[in-house]
Amino acid sequence: MLISLNELKRLVKIQISDDELFKLIGSRLVEIESVEDLAPKYKKIYVVKVKSAEPIEGTHLHLCQIDAGKELNAEVDPEHDGYIQVVCGAPNVKKGMLAAWIAPGAIVPSTFNTDNPFEITARPLRGFESYGMLAAADELALGEDHEGIISLDPETAKPGDLLADILDLNDKIIEVENKSLTHRPDCFGIWGFAREVAGILGQMFRTPGMPSADANVKDGIISIESAEICPCYTCAIIDLDNPLEKNPYFDKNAAFLAKAGMHPISKIVDVTNHYMLLTGQPLHAFDYDKFIAVGGTKEPKINVRLARNDEKIVLLDGKEISLTPSDILICSNDTPVALAGAMGGESTKIDESTRRVILESATFSLYNLRKTQMAHGIFSEAITRFTKGQPIVNCERVMLAAAQEIAIIAGASKVNFVARKYMVPLPLKKEVIALSVSDINNLLGSDYSPELIVRTLENTGFEIKSTGEKLTVAAPLWRTDIHIKEDIAEEVGRMLGFDNLPLTFPQRPFVCPEIDPMFEFKNQLRTILSERLGANELLTYSFVSKGLQEKVNEDIEDSYKIVNSISPELECFRQSIVPSLLDKLRANEKSGYKDFTLYEINQVSKKSWGLTDENVPVVQTELGLTLFGDYFLAKHILNELANTLALKLDVKPIDNSNILEPLHAGAIYLEGARIGEFGEIKSSVLKRFKLTPPISSVRINLEPCLFAKKSQKAAIKLSKFPFVSRDLTFRVKTETNYIDIESGIKSVLGQIQNIIYVLEPISIFRKPDGDEKNISFHLEIANETKTLDSHEISDIIDKITNNLKTLGAEVV
Amino acid sequence: MSSLEELKLELKNLGREYAKIKTLPEAERKSFGEKINSRKAAILAAIREQEELAESADIKPIDLTAPFGENAKPFKTASGTKHPLATELAHVADIYRQMGFSVIEARQLDDEFHMFDSLNFPKEHPARDGYDTFRTSEGFIPPAHTSTMQYRALTRFRDHLDKYGQIAVVVPGRVFRNEDVDATHEHTFYQCEGVFVSKDATLGQMLATWKNFFETYYGQKLNIKTQPGFFPFTEPSLEFQIEKPKALGGKGDGWLEMGGCGMIHPNVLKTAGIDPNIYKGFAWGGGIDRLVMLKYGINDVRYFESGKLEFLKEF
Repeated sequence: MLISLNELKRLVKIQISDDELFKLIGSRLVEIESVEDLAPKYKKIYVVKVKSAEPIEGTHLHLCQIDAGKELNAEVDPEHDGYIQVVCGAPNVKKGMLAAWIAPGAIVPSTFNTDNPFEITARPLRGFESYGMLAAADELALGEDHEGIISLDPETAKPGDLLADILDLNDKIIEVENKSLTHRPDCFGIWGFAREVAGILGQMFRTPGMPSADANVKDGIISIESAEICPCYTCAIIDLDNPLEKNPYFDKNAAFLAKAGMHPISKIVDVTNHYMLLTGQPLHAFDYDKFIAVGGTKEPKINVRLARNDEKIVLLDGKEISLTPSDILICSNDTPVALAGAMGGESTKIDESTRRVILESATFSLYNLRKTQMAHGIFSEAITRFTKGQPIVNCERVMLAAAQEIAIIAGASKVNFVARKYMVPLPLKKEVIALSVSDINNLLGSDYSPELIVRTLENTGFEIKSTGEKLTVAAPLWRTDIHIKEDIAEEVGRMLGFDNLPLTFPQRPFVCPEIDPMFEFKNQLRTILSERLGANELLTYSFVSKGLQEKVNEDIEDSYKIVNSISPELECFRQSIVPSLLDKLRANEKSGYKDFTLYEINQVSKKSWGLTDENVPVVQTELGLTLFGDYFLAKHILNELANTLALKLDVKPIDNSNILEPLHAGAIYLEGARIGEFGEIKSSVLKRFKLTPPISSVRINLEPCLFAKKSQKAAIKLSKFPFVSRDLTFRVKTETNYIDIESGIKSVLGQIQNIIYVLEPISIFRKPDGDEKNISFHLEIANETKTLDSHEISDIIDKITNNLKTLGAEVV
Repeated sequence: MSSLEELKLELKNLGREYAKIKTLPEAERKSFGEKINSRKAAILAAIREQEELAESADIKPIDLTAPFGENAKPFKTASGTKHPLATELAHVADIYRQMGFSVIEARQLDDEFHMFDSLNFPKEHPARDGYDTFRTSEGFIPPAHTSTMQYRALTRFRDHLDKYGQIAVVVPGRVFRNEDVDATHEHTFYQCEGVFVSKDATLGQMLATWKNFFETYYGQKLNIKTQPGFFPFTEPSLEFQIEKPKALGGKGDGWLEMGGCGMIHPNVLKTAGIDPNIYKGFAWGGGIDRLVMLKYGINDVRYFESGKLEFLKEF
């Protein structure tokens, strides 16, 4: 929303600098996105009178002599009989008109503050010297009109005047962030905005008076389907004695609209827009005669109702739209003539032939209009205001004011008649809130006196009865956002400045705060994986494509689908992390990285997991890891994790997997429950990612790890007697499982009294094409009570050898 | 100076002197002994000095400026990296924890009740549009703010009100918004939410608490300022800014927008089963991505989820 500083200054006495004012508005009302100082833009732009305009043969141009006042004439162009010569391409330039002239040396306002500011110079055009330029509204950055140059009103302007003085352009335009005023419909009019500024400055605001039409009231004109969709509808019928065309002059009113980002359309529409900008209440004008013709009635029958299925309407912009059941319609009798709050219809549009108008002012359900806005993509100034929930209080009085003004400029003696329908009880009731001074101070942490609180609230229209500590506050009718004590406290805190509140800390009990065990565990895992195992942590999107899921043979139907996804790439909430990592594995490999490990810890979900007690999807926090390497490298990572975290993980064979090669993969179990799997990825899957084997992955559902019993990590017992070391190698059949040999050794050692030992595998060797393999161990062994002698050692080794013989293993 | 051989010879001779002690009268023995001892110490020191000199003479000079030795291979450092966002999230949570806040993490699939209803958004209110939420075909919501956890934080720790007189929780988490992605906008990003409830919570405490967080985070005193905001779940609602810290090149003039905050709306407390006539609370929430971007001078938010090792290797 654009706010003119000059307008604010007309309504509020401002005695601080502009910058200080902007700071205060920013800290106490709404975020200011930008402030544009217009003055430099219009520095050397003058009112001129066109003394002559002769067509230049063979062109669309005119050679003009203009009068910019004696001084300027002599200064700029001493050669042309005391006037200034300008070549002008506009079709509407004609002798006698007052125009806006951009003098040589000035920047064309529409190019001001752009990357390519265009400076006007004196230059020859078609063989004629041309000084400066006569300008259209768009070139002046006062709208989009480029039909012709603007014409100025001789009543208010004379040659040599600065355009900025005539059109009130020595102004600053404040652009505010609409979003933080979502709940403040009253601030979407300059008067409401100014009221807040007055309040911030500690001043009492007086709302300007409005004209008011004095007309007969007719009943039976308006019917409304329900109070929910339209609490109030009012209108005036105005006869136009002279046809209403567009205002021939670009005047202060036009500039007022332009400064708010709008533009003049016709005299009637300009009045409605003017009042909307002042009060925030949008208005709409129908052609009366078209209206009754469409409805086939003698008198207007205005019917406000919801759209029915399959209904259509052609809007003012000529587009036909199919209506949805939440759209509110204004109907003539039963025929839709306007999409309420959004846009009028083509069939009742006012134009030069209009002789009677229906001027509408109403309030509509913001919920319905929000849906209308979304369904049809209409983002007009009017609907922006309606979706904030316009207060009923303004509805009729703004209509009466605008009607009166239209009647005057239309030459009508008076407004023909008015009609109104309220679906809420009258008189309107103010929201009254009883609270205490300490309610306010306790919420803010402030120490404001009752007097200061009362004065602050009264400045912006609150009515207060106070008996010392107790306050009864009646909110003004335009404040649709005030309902509870906290709203009143906010008003006080805001007007007096939240930044002035004393800062204090809550008292804290000496209790150690809880921490999400998963949050802690994740950080522990990250440290092990990144700092100890050299892996690289990634974060990838939670949304993936169907294509990615197909690559890894996931059941696409098991994914939660995002209905309003940004792109097909981000359509499904992911079921697992590893597919995303495979994508990144390939991307990084392409960038020249080799032999790296990627991992991510994040949430995943599948529909088949069902819902929680809260009826939201079950999500699992999963570790996904991928690496360049075989089953054993993945197993090494898994073992390191298990050892560091003291988790007793078991590995069992897996039958099948969507992604892993079953013969080179294992399922991970914790306390009897499967929590993941690891191993080599199927080459068919890798091929789809343009990756080449061996590539392995690890997937672990982390939740069960949090609650599992940790294995005791007792440090190895120390013996004061020396350790003896032996290397042992056993030859076994290829099919023999390593684990059987290792257990065979451990079971013997476990039976010997007072023994402590460390057993580590050092090699598994197999000759190419051999059907046997050699498994070697390094054994460190000691007795806790005495030094082992060679005899005892041999005895132990013999026992091991004998035990392993039963497994078909031979000592080498 | 004596040569090493001469010193060693002298030491040997000195050994013989000790034998003379017995031949001396009782009264002279002590001073004689001390003299020999001190002489011996001097000789030993001189010998050590000579030996060290000789040792140095054998050491060859090396190029102290080289990263590794001649004919040696470059050293390999561990290649592991942690994601800066995850690290920062942990760091942020850690500061809050030290301030006395429990930590719970946000879930990434939620529903209309937690995302909007429990936070006092009227049904179908336009304020819901401001959050550009994604929805699944079942109507679930990948949450657009960590406030989606407020109801859970309040109900889960409700018993703390009786036990400790307060609820103090922060909620870090990943959130999602349907926005066009560019250098400063991501559809996937991280936030941290804070919730505090007690009988005497005030807006002044809210501002002091968040200010203190940022002062700890940036290691300096900071000025703050606020702007009125609008969130259905807080009343009053504020936007919170801090002075640009020195670590980020701040010179006391610029401001950084850090997020929204306010006093928890009584309806939010009521929905969570907490009596708003007895208890009051404050809540706040802000983005983590931008903290990390500012900290490391990262100029494109899209790097975070790019999965590119060129980027991640920096951390």
